[in-house]
Amino acid sequence: MGIIDKNLSLRNRNRMLLGVWEDEDKLVEATSSLVHAGVKIQDVYTPYPVHGLDRIMGVRRSWLSIVAFLCGMTGFSLAFLMIHYMYVQDWPVDVGNKPVRFSPSWIPVLFEATVLCTAFGMAFFFFIRNRMIWGIQPELLDERQTDDRMIIAVETEAGMNEKEVLDMMKKHGAVELRERVGGVSTTI
Amino acid sequence: MIHDSMIRERLVTGDKTAADVTKDIARPILNKPSTAWKVGFTLSVIFLGIFIVSLFWTLWTGIGTWNINKSVMWGWDITNFVFWVGIGHAGTLISAILLLFRQKWRMSINRSAEAMTIFAVICAAMFPVFHMGRVWVGYWALPLPNAFGSLWVNFNSPLLWDVFAISTYFSVSLLFWYIGLIPDIATIRDKVKTKAAKYWYRFFSMGWTGSTRSWARYELISLILAGLSTPLVLSVHTIVSTDFATSVIPGWHTTIFPPYFVAGAIFSGFGMVATLLVVARKVMNYENYITIGHLEAMCKIIMLTGTLVGIAYLTEFFIAQYSGVEYEQYAFMNRASGPYWWAYWSMMFCNLVSPQVFWFKWARTTPWFIFIMSIVVNVGMWFERFVIIVTSLHRDYLPSSWVMYAGSLTEIGLFLGTFGIFFTCFFLFAKFLPVINMSEIKTILRNRE
Repeated sequence: MGIIDKNLSLRNRNRMLLGVWEDEDKLVEATSSLVHAGVKIQDVYTPYPVHGLDRIMGVRRSWLSIVAFLCGMTGFSLAFLMIHYMYVQDWPVDVGNKPVRFSPSWIPVLFEATVLCTAFGMAFFFFIRNRMIWGIQPELLDERQTDDRMIIAVETEAGMNEKEVLDMMKKHGAVELRERVGGVSTTI
Repeated sequence: MIHDSMIRERLVTGDKTAADVTKDIARPILNKPSTAWKVGFTLSVIFLGIFIVSLFWTLWTGIGTWNINKSVMWGWDITNFVFWVGIGHAGTLISAILLLFRQKWRMSINRSAEAMTIFAVICAAMFPVFHMGRVWVGYWALPLPNAFGSLWVNFNSPLLWDVFAISTYFSVSLLFWYIGLIPDIATIRDKVKTKAAKYWYRFFSMGWTGSTRSWARYELISLILAGLSTPLVLSVHTIVSTDFATSVIPGWHTTIFPPYFVAGAIFSGFGMVATLLVVARKVMNYENYITIGHLEAMCKIIMLTGTLVGIAYLTEFFIAQYSGVEYEQYAFMNRASGPYWWAYWSMMFCNLVSPQVFWFKWARTTPWFIFIMSIVVNVGMWFERFVIIVTSLHRDYLPSSWVMYAGSLTEIGLFLGTFGIFFTCFFLFAKFLPVINMSEIKTILRNRE
């Protein structure tokens, strides 16, 4: 498994069937029925987070929390080594005869460094995993998918009953059905 | 499935659909700036000019242009620093702590409050940096290898903790704010018409498409960032308070400082959020999104935190008398009845007495009154820092060092000027980015069949 989530890219996909929804509840029902019917859903695009959709689609829980913990430990260790090197080994400074070896006065700097490394390390992996980088061209299926429309994308494969999939989408309140071939969508 | 509550009022009124939300909130970005925006922006830039002139004068002539002296070595500068850092704290409280407590009313106000955090921290950072005098060697505050006999920074000093705390706080708040903005920048990207706008919104949207896989991770990272920001925001003002509390100056050497400073920071921050939003909701027609219910919730927090700082004032006064330490007793009696009595009693009135009006529903639900109260709170919290800093310093252990202190014209100019920085940034933010978090608001519309 690479770090970048390959599922997010729409390049070099087979023909795709797209259903467009305007109602969140109907979208959830439709996704659920499609998954139960054994249809492999490529992705669902929504303008806002629809809770539970990822579980219905069978998206695995992200490893981000573990990554965050590891980044935090790295930050803590680096800060500890830094203070130890500067303050104990290289040049101990006697200020008012206060201790230079580990003392509670190290805690603020250790804490801040831990938080800083956790936040930025986690964000770095978040961006890579979601193939997000400044200036990248977004692969949109509809220009209203970030406004008020929700889209279910199904990639066709050999032996798939396409009519059944489209009928199921229609039955569950899709306001529009489309097919996408070579990056161009047309209404069915 | 969510149903309408019988008791709670709706968070978004006016039966809005997702498309309405985009249209309403993106309106200032997609249209030409309004007259109100132009007037506000011009005024802010004038104040920014005052800042630049005062700063130039400080750098050209030196710190002697400030009235600080050998006894009152911290004056308006550190007062303003603590004032601005405190204002920043409400943003993180709203976006992080209220997220962890699942307070959905925060969704309409978190974006602008977080922006406020970032701008306030920028304003705050100006003061300790320029108080150094030789600002061009400011990097000496960082733990960098150097040619001075390997002399490193002092890790036992709270001033160094401040360097780490403020820089971490600024960076993490900026990251949290930006990650929160990405889906909304994508929405704007798909709405703007001009070529330059399309380019820049596309650039900063990082290719966001709203995929469920991305949303799942996005929600997780928001939650973890909120979990990180919560202890971070508490640590920042705790560390700011240790700048004072670890010293042996009467009036500063108290263990109540960390919680007292954090409560005060949230209090002043909400004061500023209320000042901004009462105006913004009217001028930008966001009354359906920032409802009276939102203002009322903010007023309740102002009342609670105001009472907390009030209790802290009374506690530290009592403990000073009870301690039997004559220097502590004198410091507090001098605050209340010495030459700066007016500052002490302004603080007491503004922070402890005046927020008590919010026990009355009328006071919590009348926008113009909330606006006046929020200004009172801001003034009170500035006086709090002035009282702590100046009254403790102006009467030293040695009566021959006793002095009076008042800010010079340059110091006043710098303080007024930071309002210029703050509001210039805020007006630019209101013009180019959505002031309300659209993607979060769309989840609480409850207009389903």
